[in-house]
Amino acid sequence: MIWLVVGALVAVAAVVLVSLPFLLDHGESDELETPTPRAETRLALIEERDRSLAALKELEFDHQTGKIDDADYRALVGPLRRAAASSLQALDALDAQD
Amino acid sequence: MARPSRSPARLVLALAVAGVLAIFLIYTALAGSTPSLQPSNLAGHRGNVDLTGKVVGHVSGNASTADGLRFRLHNINGDSPTVPILYHGSVPDLFKSGRDVNVTGHMENGTFVATAMTTKCPSKYTATQNS
Amino acid sequence: MADLGRAALVVSFGLALYACVAGTLAAVGRQRRLADSARNALIACFGSTLVASIVLAIALVRHDFTFVYVANHTSRDLSAVYSLTAFWGGEEGSLLLWLLVLTGYGALAVALNRRLLRDLIVWVVPVIGGVATFFAFMLFAVASPFATETRQLDGAGLVPSLQNPYMVAHPPMLYLGYVGLTIPFAFAAGAMLSGQTDERWIVATRRWTLVAWMFLGFGQILGSHWAYVEVGWGGYYAWDPVENAALMPWLAATAFLHSVMIQERKGMLKVWNMVLVAFAFELSLFGTFLTRSGVVQSIHSFSRSSIGGWFLGMVVASTAFAVALILWRLPLLKARTKLESPISREAAFLYNNLLFVALTLTIFWGEIFPILTQLFQGISRTIGRPYFDFFLRVFGLPLLLLMGIGPLVAWRRSSVRGLLRTLAWPAAAAVVTGVALTAVGHGTSRPGLIAYTFSAFVFATIVVEVVRGTRVTGSLFTLVSRNRRRYGGYIVHASVVLLAVGIAASSTAGANVFRTLKPGQSTRVDGYTVTYHGTKSIPSVTESGTTVEHRAFLSFTGRATGSMTTSQIDSSTLGPSREVGIYSNWRDGGTDLYTINSAQNGQTITLQILVKPLVNLIWIAGYVFVFGSLVALWPDAREQRRLVSRLAFARA
Repeated sequence: MIWLVVGALVAVAAVVLVSLPFLLDHGESDELETPTPRAETRLALIEERDRSLAALKELEFDHQTGKIDDADYRALVGPLRRAAASSLQALDALDAQD
Repeated sequence: MARPSRSPARLVLALAVAGVLAIFLIYTALAGSTPSLQPSNLAGHRGNVDLTGKVVGHVSGNASTADGLRFRLHNINGDSPTVPILYHGSVPDLFKSGRDVNVTGHMENGTFVATAMTTKCPSKYTATQNS
Repeated sequence: MADLGRAALVVSFGLALYACVAGTLAAVGRQRRLADSARNALIACFGSTLVASIVLAIALVRHDFTFVYVANHTSRDLSAVYSLTAFWGGEEGSLLLWLLVLTGYGALAVALNRRLLRDLIVWVVPVIGGVATFFAFMLFAVASPFATETRQLDGAGLVPSLQNPYMVAHPPMLYLGYVGLTIPFAFAAGAMLSGQTDERWIVATRRWTLVAWMFLGFGQILGSHWAYVEVGWGGYYAWDPVENAALMPWLAATAFLHSVMIQERKGMLKVWNMVLVAFAFELSLFGTFLTRSGVVQSIHSFSRSSIGGWFLGMVVASTAFAVALILWRLPLLKARTKLESPISREAAFLYNNLLFVALTLTIFWGEIFPILTQLFQGISRTIGRPYFDFFLRVFGLPLLLLMGIGPLVAWRRSSVRGLLRTLAWPAAAAVVTGVALTAVGHGTSRPGLIAYTFSAFVFATIVVEVVRGTRVTGSLFTLVSRNRRRYGGYIVHASVVLLAVGIAASSTAGANVFRTLKPGQSTRVDGYTVTYHGTKSIPSVTESGTTVEHRAFLSFTGRATGSMTTSQIDSSTLGPSREVGIYSNWRDGGTDLYTINSAQNGQTITLQILVKPLVNLIWIAGYVFVFGSLVALWPDAREQRRLVSRLAFARA
């Protein structure tokens, strides 16, 4: 018998937890935040920038350890630097719009 | 993954490799597979087969001597004619009369000559009866 | 107390269903409170499932035989530890464990990410909820662990071969692995449902996938070791359907772990990654279907059970769901860049993926072949070991080689000249190894020799990487801690090398003979002289019945000196079993001398004696594997901060 009571308590606790967001409502908007197109673009640019910077860092490290020789390094580093620079510029441009 | 201007060659290559592989797989599977049978449908099969059944009756002999281990199998669920088995090799864990086993071999003059045997691991995950 | 268990499962079902339905409505209608409510339901579902699990655990430890499940899988004389592990010894308990792990992982995943990725989590909740609903439904309607009956005096007991530390750890590890693959799948589905198909979902689930993959891999090694010492046929993997059921999702997950690196860096292979993660998830469900339904013959022999059909239905439904999602979002999944060169690290990862998937599909084909032939030919045909062994070599050996080449190739493109330069030393090491091995007589098996040379190649590349890196950073510790993913990966690669060498040596070299001996007689096997000293019959009586152990005493000299016993055991309640004798010769590289009491005729014994060269490298590889995975998993404070600022960004 006691176990059924405990079971009922479990069920009650579950219901309470599920209703909590409705009970604790402070009158804020119920709208789920969606990233604005601008936020989306900014995030994409940030990811692009981080990706280029990480790739550059890795290239430098591989060059230092000797895995990539000077000729290959010179061939690869240019495009990577340009990519990083362009995403940094685009990011600045976006921020400047504010 | 690739722009249209590059993809046809790669696509053709990928499909060709896949095709060759598929043919190879089918061939190997058919050539390398053995029928899984029970004593009731063993009749008429020449060549190497897998036979699954329940060990019944008296088990005699020794699997590691030339005489071999002799026992009989019938279908796991119920009646079927029994098949005499002659086995040489390592006797697995849990082998005894009443156990379900799987033997690999072929029929020779009315006796199934087996070269490999596995027993089933009991009690773990036995199905609960639908009540 | 069974009432509490049943009630808790009903609550779990209700919560899971609510999480799925309400979560979907909230995501579609963009309602914050409903979304939070659905998320809470998922977390609460873990709570109620935990209550149910505790009930079962207590019943098991207390040997409460009014529970049918307890009566079927334990007995009065079973120790507390093994009684507890009987939790996952049967079908219903295994399902409960699955639901527990699923809701546990799910609750943690949504709780940890509740402030980041809100737009993604809103869809992840209903997907996890959906999977949980299926399992909760099975548990309360189809296969309940809380069925009761009038009290029995004693239970059926646990088979002796399962009373073993490995069997304590192996199933939970596998479950932490299998079930863990649901999380990246749920995030992938969430990404497609929400339209956020960029790399965010991958970055968020990277560690989850790695953890699941680690447990699944280590769990399989544990299982193999159990098979080796307990089942005792001298092997450790039999391409049994149940073994393959764990291997296939692991292979798919390995491919996925590599290909996500390409998407993270280049924005390529988006569709491929979606397909792979769904494939891995479906394989883990399908594997459960195969092992539970009795559809395929297996040494584990799960008799035909009712839940097989339900699982198949779930696999079909979730596959259809995944395929529909991918087709719907195909336009969003276009790649940003393309493959620039067939000689680049991206290309190497691609080849690696193709090989992994090919191997997985080969095993899958071998698994379903009996089912298909039964359907189309009326006779079920099974595919034997040779097929699997053959394709393991055909795909596995190139994979081994690729494991060495990949790390040495640059991203985007590598010049052939540059590549040959970096490969020079490792290639030389491989050739030297091959020649040396052939010279001392280990070149007889061609696949074995190839495996050894490739392994030497890979090992040399790892050494070269570490040496070069340490020269730059100054210390090994700094090197590893600054590049945790890369060097953790190298450690894992090293474990695979150990695995390859151990498998190659123990399966292509050594000995496997039968000898019939009388007491006092000796025999020579591959450098060992084994002497048989007679057999003693040792009875023991327990609460459940009597057991007689026929223990054979052996001693050996030669490559090593020592003694061992090997036994046949006859239990009145559980039938015959055996204990093999194993001596690990560490001076010989971890080679085992392995004896089986094959037949007993009075005092004359027939022994099966095996010598398994380097087999212990396999078990060591398991630990190295875990260590490497942990290094790769190790949190990096700087990376975390950057991640948080990126992922929380949507709120700005």
